[in-house]
Amino acid sequence: MTDIMGGAITYTPSIIANQLVSNINTDQTEQAALEEQVSTGNAVNQPSDDPAAAAQILQINAGLARSQQYSTNATDGLGWLSLGNSTMNQILSALQSAQQAVLSTSGTQLTGNPNAIQSLATQVKSVLKEVTQLANTQYGNQAIFAGTGNVTTAYDANGNYVGGGSAPTRTVGPGQQIPVSVTGPAVFGTGTTGLLSTTPGNLGVLAQIASDLSTGTTASLTQVSTTDLQNLQSAISQVENQAAVLGANYQQMQAFQQQATGTQQALQSELSGIQSANLPQAVTQLSQVQNSYQDALWATSKVTQDSLVQFLS
Amino acid sequence: MGNLGLSIAASGLDAQQAVMDTISQNLANASTTGYVSENANITTLPGGDALGIGGGAQVGTVTQASDGLLQANASQTSGALAQVTALQQVLTSAQAVFPEPGSNGISAQLSSFWQAWDTLAQNPSDSAGGAQVVDLAQNLTTALSQASGQLTQLQDSAQSQLGSVVGQTNTTLAQVAELNTQIVAAKGSGADPNALIDQQNRLLSTLATSIGAVSSTADNGSATVRVGGITLVQGSFADTLQVSGAPGSMAITSASSGAALPTTGGNASGLLAAINQYLPSYQSQLNAVANNLASTVNTQLAAGYTATGASGAANPLFTGTGATGLTVNPAVAANSQLIAASGTSALPDATNDGSNAQAMANLYDAPGGPDLTYQAFIQSLGTQVQTTNNQVQAQTSVANAAQANLQAVVGVDPNQQMVQMLATQQAFQASAQLIQTVSTMMQSLLTAV
Repeated sequence: MTDIMGGAITYTPSIIANQLVSNINTDQTEQAALEEQVSTGNAVNQPSDDPAAAAQILQINAGLARSQQYSTNATDGLGWLSLGNSTMNQILSALQSAQQAVLSTSGTQLTGNPNAIQSLATQVKSVLKEVTQLANTQYGNQAIFAGTGNVTTAYDANGNYVGGGSAPTRTVGPGQQIPVSVTGPAVFGTGTTGLLSTTPGNLGVLAQIASDLSTGTTASLTQVSTTDLQNLQSAISQVENQAAVLGANYQQMQAFQQQATGTQQALQSELSGIQSANLPQAVTQLSQVQNSYQDALWATSKVTQDSLVQFLS
Repeated sequence: MGNLGLSIAASGLDAQQAVMDTISQNLANASTTGYVSENANITTLPGGDALGIGGGAQVGTVTQASDGLLQANASQTSGALAQVTALQQVLTSAQAVFPEPGSNGISAQLSSFWQAWDTLAQNPSDSAGGAQVVDLAQNLTTALSQASGQLTQLQDSAQSQLGSVVGQTNTTLAQVAELNTQIVAAKGSGADPNALIDQQNRLLSTLATSIGAVSSTADNGSATVRVGGITLVQGSFADTLQVSGAPGSMAITSASSGAALPTTGGNASGLLAAINQYLPSYQSQLNAVANNLASTVNTQLAAGYTATGASGAANPLFTGTGATGLTVNPAVAANSQLIAASGTSALPDATNDGSNAQAMANLYDAPGGPDLTYQAFIQSLGTQVQTTNNQVQAQTSVANAAQANLQAVVGVDPNQQMVQMLATQQAFQASAQLIQTVSTMMQSLLTAV
């Protein structure tokens, strides 16, 4: 306070009272701010507490929400991929049983045993049916091998692909999109080298084997054990390749999920670093302010008592 | 000799009694607002005695303590404090419109909105995902328009507050002019004008806090009130003020000259700053966030296609502009299948494609996008409130100090009054003693005769 008069200032009771009231108000404001900090545990309760920190908190919160979403996306993707993997395993074991059946025809002992041949044909047909069903496996209500082109169905009753587009992807990190499936044609092939077609004149591998077995001639049985078997084996290896792709994607997805969790933790700790009140400090300050508030109140209660008036009688 | 001594002592008693009366008046008004400490000036009475002995003492005038510089300083600082306090009240209310950082603010709603696009991308054919996007978009438009509405309410209440400040100021201006006439008349007729001057001081300090008026008092006691060179009261003339113009260029104008008051202090100045500058700026920044949101979302939608391969350009999610005008396209709200989630128009590929929805979700931190625009707005709002808070704090100490300096001169200090009372009492007793002594002297003379 600068003394404009240049001499000692006279403090009248009204000046002292005004200043005490002003001090009490200041103490009360500070006390309220500190109490808010202690009760919420947050140092920034409104933008004016620390504008730059407030903006940063908003940004971190948005980043946190985003990385939580990455994690959710990855969980969804892992669901797709693990269903895809188990479906692939079922398909492979079904195909392997068909392969066993085909291999058992390689000797000529079956010629002239129509019942045995027919039973093999039936077995291959049931494998075809099973694989076609597996090809329409749904996650939720979405066909996993249909790409983006069809919601519920990848293959129709004749084993024709009715899906389209590429495999759906999930965003699991900034700019990171991982396919959560593979498309039907990539797994099952197409046309005569594909597994599933039952359209006459354009039979797929399994239907061709069943048909050749049903024909039952030496020539057709030879066809089964040579060309058909080769086609089946290459189809199996194609399925195996795609199963490997799904497996690799699964691992990648898991890695990104962990990364998202790590990012969340980092953001959380950054957030609490900015947002959290330093409680020991806030509590200490609060008790200091409370003390000075009480002192101010005490001084106020004494304000009019000490005067010359008391000593004149 | 006896007569002269007695009459001098009698004049002393009278003078000391007048001083006692003044002290009594001062003590009685020790806590009266606007009361200025009075001082009885005792002068000597010229005597007719050939020896040059004076004729005693008399109370010449009862004057009021005053210091023009301190008075002006106190007025100016209280006007400055009133200005930042008025602004602080409006800005704090404006800040409360945006509960940030928190889980209910627009920022959190934007995050939820972007997350909904991810959910949609996971299952584009499921109508629930689209419906959620529409719901959250509607929440956002509601939140934006509510915030804008609250800012408008603040604007309205600041304007009506300004109106009432101006109304009260007009009454005060008229009262000051009236007092001018009375004070000049009282001084002219030799009546005591001090009570009127106290009242005048009180009104002048009201004018300092309401419109930042600067006043000066002439020797005849008449006060002149000015705001930035425009005279509002002079002698018996009092101008009236009115509010004119629209928010953005609102001003207080003089009714007589039509000139706008260049206010730099007082409540009115703080309110005008809020009305013309701060609140419109918040409103326009909020509008910018709304428009940014609409253009960001609609542009991304236009790059995508619906499940049937139709371009998203035909069905924007947001229509209208500004925080209050922004709405969710009713066509999309009624049929969320119109949301262009697919990144391709080829069929059947688009049937269950969610790549455009994924691209949308990634816009949450788009440079110059709605989120960053909003964050920048909150930061600037927070900075302005913080600055105003600091100004109020600083200005409070300055105004308190100025007030203390002034009070030290014009206020009543009971201790000082008591000391003066003792001195006066002693002088009174001394004069009384003198009368008794003269009387004793006369008696002994009479006895001797």
